[in-house]
Amino acid sequence: MVLISFIICFIYNLEAAELPKLLTKHPAESLRYISYDGRYTYIQKKSGVLSLVTSFTSTDFLTDETGNDFLIKGSADKSRLIIESIPNPHSEMSMLKNHRIFVIDYGNTSPRFIGQGRNAKIHLRDEWVTYYDMLDKTIRVQNLITQRKFDIKLSAKPHPFFIPDIEMLSSSSLIYTEINEAGFSALVAYDLKSLKSTIIYKSAQNATRLELCRNENYLALGEFPYDGVSRGSKIQILAVRDFTNLSSMSSLYDSVEQDVGNILCLKKEVYFVKMITQDQRLGIKVTEAVKIDLNTKTTTLVSDLKNVTQLIEMDGRVLAPFRGDFYVIEGTSSLEVDVLKSIPTKEELPLEI
Amino acid sequence: MKTLPRSSQNQFYRIFLGAVLLGLCLSSFSQTIPLEVPKSTDYPGIIQTFEKLIQIDSEKIAKRKEILIKANRLFNNSQTTSGLDLEPDFLNSIILHSDSGYLRMASTSRCRFYEALLTDLLRSSEGKITNILITYQDKDKQHSSIISKKDFLNKVVNLDCPNTQKLIASFQVKTLQNTLQGIKFDIPTGIDQCRNTHLAWLNNSHTPFLCQIHEYIKESKSGAGDPKELESRRAIAEILDEKLTMMQKDYLENLCQHLDDEEIFCEEFLNVSYWTKIAGGYESQFTVQDICSKALGTDVLSASQIASCLNRLKKEQDLCHYPKGISGIKPQPDCDHLSTALNYSSYKPTFNDCPASSDQLIATNVVRILSHFIPTQLTIPTAGPCSGITNASIYGFNQKFDNDENWKLEACYADKLLERDVCFKTYFGDIKNDPAAFTSVVAEILKRTRGADPSLTCDMVDSKDYSPVLLKFRSGCYITYETQNCWVSSCKHKITLNDRPIDFIKVKGDTALPYFPLTVKDERFSQNYILTKDFKRNPTSIFNLAGITKFFKKVQGGIVHGVGCAEDLLPSFFKSMAMNQCSPLPFVINGMIREKDKVAFVLRTSVDSLSAPRLISWSTLYSAVKGYQKIQPLKQWTLYGLD
Repeated sequence: MVLISFIICFIYNLEAAELPKLLTKHPAESLRYISYDGRYTYIQKKSGVLSLVTSFTSTDFLTDETGNDFLIKGSADKSRLIIESIPNPHSEMSMLKNHRIFVIDYGNTSPRFIGQGRNAKIHLRDEWVTYYDMLDKTIRVQNLITQRKFDIKLSAKPHPFFIPDIEMLSSSSLIYTEINEAGFSALVAYDLKSLKSTIIYKSAQNATRLELCRNENYLALGEFPYDGVSRGSKIQILAVRDFTNLSSMSSLYDSVEQDVGNILCLKKEVYFVKMITQDQRLGIKVTEAVKIDLNTKTTTLVSDLKNVTQLIEMDGRVLAPFRGDFYVIEGTSSLEVDVLKSIPTKEELPLEI
Repeated sequence: MKTLPRSSQNQFYRIFLGAVLLGLCLSSFSQTIPLEVPKSTDYPGIIQTFEKLIQIDSEKIAKRKEILIKANRLFNNSQTTSGLDLEPDFLNSIILHSDSGYLRMASTSRCRFYEALLTDLLRSSEGKITNILITYQDKDKQHSSIISKKDFLNKVVNLDCPNTQKLIASFQVKTLQNTLQGIKFDIPTGIDQCRNTHLAWLNNSHTPFLCQIHEYIKESKSGAGDPKELESRRAIAEILDEKLTMMQKDYLENLCQHLDDEEIFCEEFLNVSYWTKIAGGYESQFTVQDICSKALGTDVLSASQIASCLNRLKKEQDLCHYPKGISGIKPQPDCDHLSTALNYSSYKPTFNDCPASSDQLIATNVVRILSHFIPTQLTIPTAGPCSGITNASIYGFNQKFDNDENWKLEACYADKLLERDVCFKTYFGDIKNDPAAFTSVVAEILKRTRGADPSLTCDMVDSKDYSPVLLKFRSGCYITYETQNCWVSSCKHKITLNDRPIDFIKVKGDTALPYFPLTVKDERFSQNYILTKDFKRNPTSIFNLAGITKFFKKVQGGIVHGVGCAEDLLPSFFKSMAMNQCSPLPFVINGMIREKDKVAFVLRTSVDSLSAPRLISWSTLYSAVKGYQKIQPLKQWTLYGLD
C-alpha cells in the first residue's frame, strides 16, 4: 500500500499553471457567497450588515449586532444557504464561542434564526441543517421542513477546540467525526430513529484528524495529521450505493507525508492540500492544492502558491484563499462583466420554507 | 553535552595569534632574534615542520634558562627597574604550547593575558609556568632575567592590572560561592545572541579564573600532574566541584573548551536537545511536568522519574502530543519539534495560563506579552480557575492605564433601598488582596446585603473538590466553579455562604477589548495602543522577512506580536468552509532560527500552551496576517515587534 502511495505521489504533475484570481465587481474581502454565474452575490457591506446583490440591486437583509462578521455556505442543491453571524470577532477573539446561525432561501433575503453553534452545514436537498454547539459539546440536527430536532452529545472534554465534521447520509442517519481523550479519531454513525451510535472506523494511530466530504455519488473520508505531528495521510471513499455498509470504504490515496488535507468532493475529483516539500527540523512546508481523479486515481498539482492552507468549494467553483484574495482552481475566474440574466424559470425559483 | 576533539583546533591559528599577542604584550619584540628556521627537516610537510618548531623552542628555552641561572640573573624583588616585559622567546614558547582557546582569550587584553598566565591556562615548553623569563630596563640597558610567578604578580600584574588582585581574592575557596552567585551564566536562544555571549565571555575578567577551576577539576580527575600532590589536589578539586552546580560545570566545560570557536560553543546550546538541557539543570522542568505526568501516569514526579521521562522524550516523538490537563490545543507538536522551538525561544514559561480555558484570547496574548517584559510582577493565584492569572493580569493592566472603564464584566445585586442594581467590576479569580477579584467582590456584596462579618473572605473551589459533606465547607463563603466551563468572560459557578446557596448575585457584561483599533475615534482604548503608548514599549512595524530578522538581530530576546487568521496559522486545526472565513488568532513570536538560507520563527498562538511553542515559516505568518488585514475594520496591519 505504501509503495502504491509513493507511486501515486510521484505521478502528479509538478508544473502547475499560474492560477487566476477571482475577479468580481466587489472587493474580495466583502464577498461572502457568489453563485457560479455571479447572479447572486452576498456581501458584507460593513460589520454587522449583510446584503444580497442581484439584478443590479443591493438589499441589506441581515443586520446583526454591530461588529459582527458573517459566513455563508451553500450546497449543490442550491435551495437554501446557511449563515453564521460571528459576534464581536475583533474584540472578543475566541475559538470557543458559538455563532448565531440563520437559514435563507437561495437568492432570497428573509433570514430565519436556527440556533447557536459552529460549523453549520445544510444537507439532503437543503432540508436538514447540522451544527455543533461549542459550549454544550453537542451536535444539533434540525429538519428545516418538519422542524424536528436531534441532539447528539459528544464527550470531547479534553479537546475544547475540537469541532466534528458531520455528513447526513439519509433522513434517518448521519455520520460524524469524534476524538477520544487519547487523541484517537473515529467515525461514528448515528441513527436518528433508534438514537444509537456505532463506531464504524477508528484511526490506527492518534494525533490525526478525520475529515468528511460528500458528493452526489460518493463520500470521502480523509485522515490527516495535525500541525507539527509526523503522521501519514490517507483518503478513503465510499459509493453512495454502499452507504448501508460503511465499513466497505476503498483507498483512494495513501501517503507517509504530512499533508494538510481540507478535502473537497467534486463530481469527478477529490481536492485537498498536499505537502510538497518539508524541512523537518524547521517545520517549514511548501503546500499546494492537488486533485485526485476518481477514475484514474492520478494526482495532479493544481496550484502554484507554495503556501496553500485551505480550499473552498462554492457553487461548483473551487477556490484557494490566499492572503486575502481568492485563486480559482476550478471554474471561471472573471465575474466582472455585467450581463442581464433571464428571469429564473419556475424550476430555478427558490423553495419557500 | 557534545564536545569535539581538541584535534579540531587549527594549529596555524596559534601562529596567526602569535602576532596579535606579541603586539599586545611585547613592546620590545623588534629586539628579539627570530626563531631559527631549521636548515632541513626530516619529513617534509606541515605537521613535521611544526613539530620541529616546538622542538627547537623547547631546546632554546631550556638553554636560555640555564644561561640565566648560571649568570645568576634571578630577578631580585628589591630591584628597582622599569620596562618589565616578557622575553620574546618565552612568549613564543607560550604561543606554541598553549591551548588556542586560552590564547584567544589572552589576546583580548594585557590583563586577560596576565590572568591566563597566573591561572595556569597558558603553558610554555615546560608545561605549567612556574618562572617567567622577562626583560627589563636598568640604567638604560636592557637585561634579561627569571622571575617567579609571585614576584611577577607583584612587580608587573598589580601595576598594570589593579583589578586582578581583587579577582584572585574573589576566587578563593572561601569566597568562591558568593562570587559564583554573582556571575550570570546566560543561556543563549539565538545564534546572534550566542555569538555576543561568546564574545562577552572572551572579554570577561572572570573567564580565566572560571576556566582555571574547570581545568583544575579536570586535571585532578584525570590524575595528571605531579603524582605526589595528587591526593591533596583531588581533595581541593572535590571542594570546588561541590560549589558548582551541574549546569555551571557543563557550561564551563563548553566555554573553556570552545573559547576559540563560537560556532561549536553555540552548537552546544542551540543544537542540543532541550530535554538534555533540562536534565543538565540548564532549563526548568516546568515545560515537561504535564508531559511526564501523562507519560508516567502520576502527578508527583521524583527526580529519577523526570530523568527517565527526559530520556524517553528524545526517542518517543509521540509523548509530547497529549500532556496532562487541558492547558492548550492538542495534539502538541512532536517532541523534536518542541525541543527545537523551546531551544530558540527567548521566553521560558514559569506558569500555565490555560488558553483552553480562555474565551478571550486577546487577554491571553496581552498577558503573555506582559509576562515577557515583567515576569516577576504578575500575580500568580494559588487557587481558583486556571485562567485566573490571565484574568487578574489583564484587568490590572487596563486598570493601571485607566482603561478599566471599558472592562464591562460586573457582579451585581439589586439594592432595595436604592431601587437599582449595584454593580462592581470584577474578574474570575481568587486573589485575596485584590478588591476586583470575584472572591473579594462576592464577599463585599455579602457584607453589604447579608451583614456578613467584615473579615469574611470567599474561596473559589473546583466543583470536583467541593463536597458539602465535608466540615470545612459547612461554614464560610465558597464559590464552586466548573473547570470545563470557567473562562475569562463567563464562569459557571455556585455561591454558598455558611452552606446556604446565594443566588442573588448576578454576573453581567463581557470582556470585549479590541486588540487593534476598530475605529479611529477609539484607538486609545485598544490593547496595542496601551502596550505601546502607556506601557511604553517601542513598536516596530514588521512587513517583510528582512524586517523581522533585523528586529530579532537588533533586539536580543525581543518579542513580536500580532493577529492572524487561525485558518492559516493552524490549518489542520481550523478548517475554512466559507469565503473570508478568518478567525482572528493573536500570537507572539519569541525567537528565530536561521540555518543557511532558511528561517523559521518560534510561534505561540494564543491557543497553544506556553510550554508548547511551534515553528512557523515567514510565508505562513505573512499569509495569516495579510488575511486578517483584509477583514480588519480599519484594514490595519497587525504585526509588530516590541522592545
